[in-house]
Amino acid sequence: MTDIRVLITGMGLITPLGSGVDRNWTALLKGKTGIGVLTLFPTANDLSFPVGQVTKSFPPEGPPRTHQLALMAAEEAIDHTIGPPDAIIMGSTTGGMSRTEELLKEKQLSPTLFSYHSTGSVAEYLALKMKCKGPVITVSTACSSGATAIAMALALLKTGRFKKILVGGAESLCRLTYFGFHSLQLIDPHGSRPLDSDRKGLTVSEGAGMMLLESSDKIMDTETIEVLGAGLSCDAYHPASPDPEGAGALSAMKGALNDAGISPSEIDYVNLHGTGTVDNDLAEAKAFNRLFDQHRPLVSSVKGTFGHSLSAAGAIEAVVSAKCVEAGIAPSSVGLHTPDPRLELNPLRESKDAPIRTVLSNAFGFGGSNTSLVVGRSREIQGKTQGETQSAASPLPIPLEVSGIACITGAGNTSETLNAFTKGLNCRGLLSEKEISSSLSTRAARRLKRLSRMGLSLATAACGDAGDSKKPGAVFFGTGWGALSETHDFLNALYETDERFSSPTDFMGSVHNATAGRIAVKFNATGPNITTTGGDYSFEQALMSAHLLAKEDDRPFLVMGADEFHPELSRLFDASVRKGKTPSDGGGALLVKRGKTGSGPKLEPLFYENGNGNPQVVSSLVQCLGGNEKIDLDFGAVFAGLPAASRTMGRKQLDLFIQTAGFKGPVIDYRRYLGEFASASAVATVLAASLLKTGKISSRLTEKETVDLNGKGIVLLGLGNFVTAVAVYDGKGSS
Amino acid sequence: MANLIDELRIKIIDTLKLEDVSPEDMGEEDQLVGGELGLDSIDVLEMVIMIEKDYSVKIDNKKLGARVFANLKTLAAHIEETAPEGVF
Repeated sequence: MTDIRVLITGMGLITPLGSGVDRNWTALLKGKTGIGVLTLFPTANDLSFPVGQVTKSFPPEGPPRTHQLALMAAEEAIDHTIGPPDAIIMGSTTGGMSRTEELLKEKQLSPTLFSYHSTGSVAEYLALKMKCKGPVITVSTACSSGATAIAMALALLKTGRFKKILVGGAESLCRLTYFGFHSLQLIDPHGSRPLDSDRKGLTVSEGAGMMLLESSDKIMDTETIEVLGAGLSCDAYHPASPDPEGAGALSAMKGALNDAGISPSEIDYVNLHGTGTVDNDLAEAKAFNRLFDQHRPLVSSVKGTFGHSLSAAGAIEAVVSAKCVEAGIAPSSVGLHTPDPRLELNPLRESKDAPIRTVLSNAFGFGGSNTSLVVGRSREIQGKTQGETQSAASPLPIPLEVSGIACITGAGNTSETLNAFTKGLNCRGLLSEKEISSSLSTRAARRLKRLSRMGLSLATAACGDAGDSKKPGAVFFGTGWGALSETHDFLNALYETDERFSSPTDFMGSVHNATAGRIAVKFNATGPNITTTGGDYSFEQALMSAHLLAKEDDRPFLVMGADEFHPELSRLFDASVRKGKTPSDGGGALLVKRGKTGSGPKLEPLFYENGNGNPQVVSSLVQCLGGNEKIDLDFGAVFAGLPAASRTMGRKQLDLFIQTAGFKGPVIDYRRYLGEFASASAVATVLAASLLKTGKISSRLTEKETVDLNGKGIVLLGLGNFVTAVAVYDGKGSS
Repeated sequence: MANLIDELRIKIIDTLKLEDVSPEDMGEEDQLVGGELGLDSIDVLEMVIMIEKDYSVKIDNKKLGARVFANLKTLAAHIEETAPEGVF
């Protein structure tokens, strides 16, 4: 634990209630609801349900709605006088989908129109606007995304390496989620009535919630509001239904209290996830009642006010939680008429003035991904006086030690890929679904399309025949584009039936974190389950998340990355795929645990900065790696990730790195062997970990003589729009 | 009704991708959901959509669903009873 505190110094909101924190807060306290009529896209009369729609419209020539909503909330949260944020972390589940689905429907298939499709593009758009040079991370854990982003910002600030982070979540209404939740029969045709006896489901909505979080090593006055703690867990139960006993919800809430160092009796108000679905509210109430069996805090759900804005909800409600503390008022559960006696809760039916020091806010999502946050007034630490400066020194997380690896490329599964790569042979192409699924039973695979099959196969292979105690307890998964097959098939079926019918299985599978959720179910991995979606750097983001958020317990965890090639969508979305000659896909998985002393290779994310608008990025990289001498001492080879779409830029960065660092070892341009797909770096990391064991890099790979690593490690550089460095070493080096 | 049951067997196998099941494995009074076929609530939702799409029959609440999806016979009977004219 460090003494670093994480203060909420700026907040921004745009929701169906309006724009701006104050306007939202006033309307919320008046018991208003933002739930109303959908006008953003047409639907058949019998398929017209209430939604939470933001009344603002945006010019069509700008970026998609999600991006615009995010920017509006960010502009409110940020204080431009203190300079750009050091990092941006966004929760996003659908990115530019509202525009993409329109274009696909109209069969407008010019790739430039899809440049804002990815979930990662929301954070990147903010980074451009805010001139952020640091890490730009996207968390895609379905309906917990916004809260998970805040949990990650909290962890990142506590390392002491960053001072201020812009964080939040943004979501736009789109057909995918509207018809998707309908196909799951999870929409309440009367509008969501959380915690009510007659509740029938949720109301999909949109909006954005943003926060500027700043670290401080000073004891703050007790008026300051902080993010005090976060807890992450996974139900490991079902792709779309919560664990009926609420075990995952309970674990996230307990985790958040532990992280904040407080007891349940110190919580004054609980902002429930409270979607209004029968199952969620029941499971969450069970968890609540177990945690608060003595002390009963005030409790309500604001989803009857705002609707459920999916990836934005956790962030919007974190802002609401901070307002509750600031104003000393807890909001009511709008839409609630008759509290469901089975919940055994006493939810607020009118907003209530109360001394609120500390709030627990829940956000749970598909894939069983749960995040709870504790927001509250600063606490005094015993023996320290206000204003006293603490030591900011915080130990960096312990490196990750690799105990299992797996990869898939066009060359085959792990052994075929390793064999081909070490000989400098081509691994591009697409492995057949049959070969990808060889470790999966027909029954297990029947609902899985290409990405989920890859993910489950990789996870299974990386875990090998490890005993139960060695099975992964958490999953960190990076994917640039997510489940393209399910997304395509869902929209295709919808359009083929004149927007009437679509597959609930495809909807569940289309969610970016569906694969990681399925892996959690297979291994009963109840720890954090994080999916990151940052384009070509998604795996690096997953590794960074693991480094920050994985618990230091005995169970290992999976760090992985995978992307599927889709014959229609990949070329539309991914500019590097368009430039690649051979359609390729695949992924890599590493089973790791924290450790310094074991025999396995060590893995450490060392650097992540924006490559755009950041002329010092390469010198910053060299400095971060310890300067010329240390780079030479630590690393025997560079694996360079040069996405085709930003190859010229990446090549310049690489040349400058080699020149600045005076690096004389071999540089392997791995996409030449693996092909163009966003998570190629996950495969490269697996290959690097494997090469370390042999200690040699063959002449076919170096294109010169065979290189002996002499105990040195390999540094994997991600280049282009972002510059990243991941070290893989055997532990004898001093990285 | 026998024809409809045969048709449903094929449609269910196809919709739910039950590659390891053949139509003759599905007895008309065998438990459809939670039985040996390994079908769950998501499969029910997929069947709901298939039945509305192909037979214009809506099954939009859990209670009705539990009764209708008991087995192939109950499902076929419900479709025959409630399908609008012209479906068959």
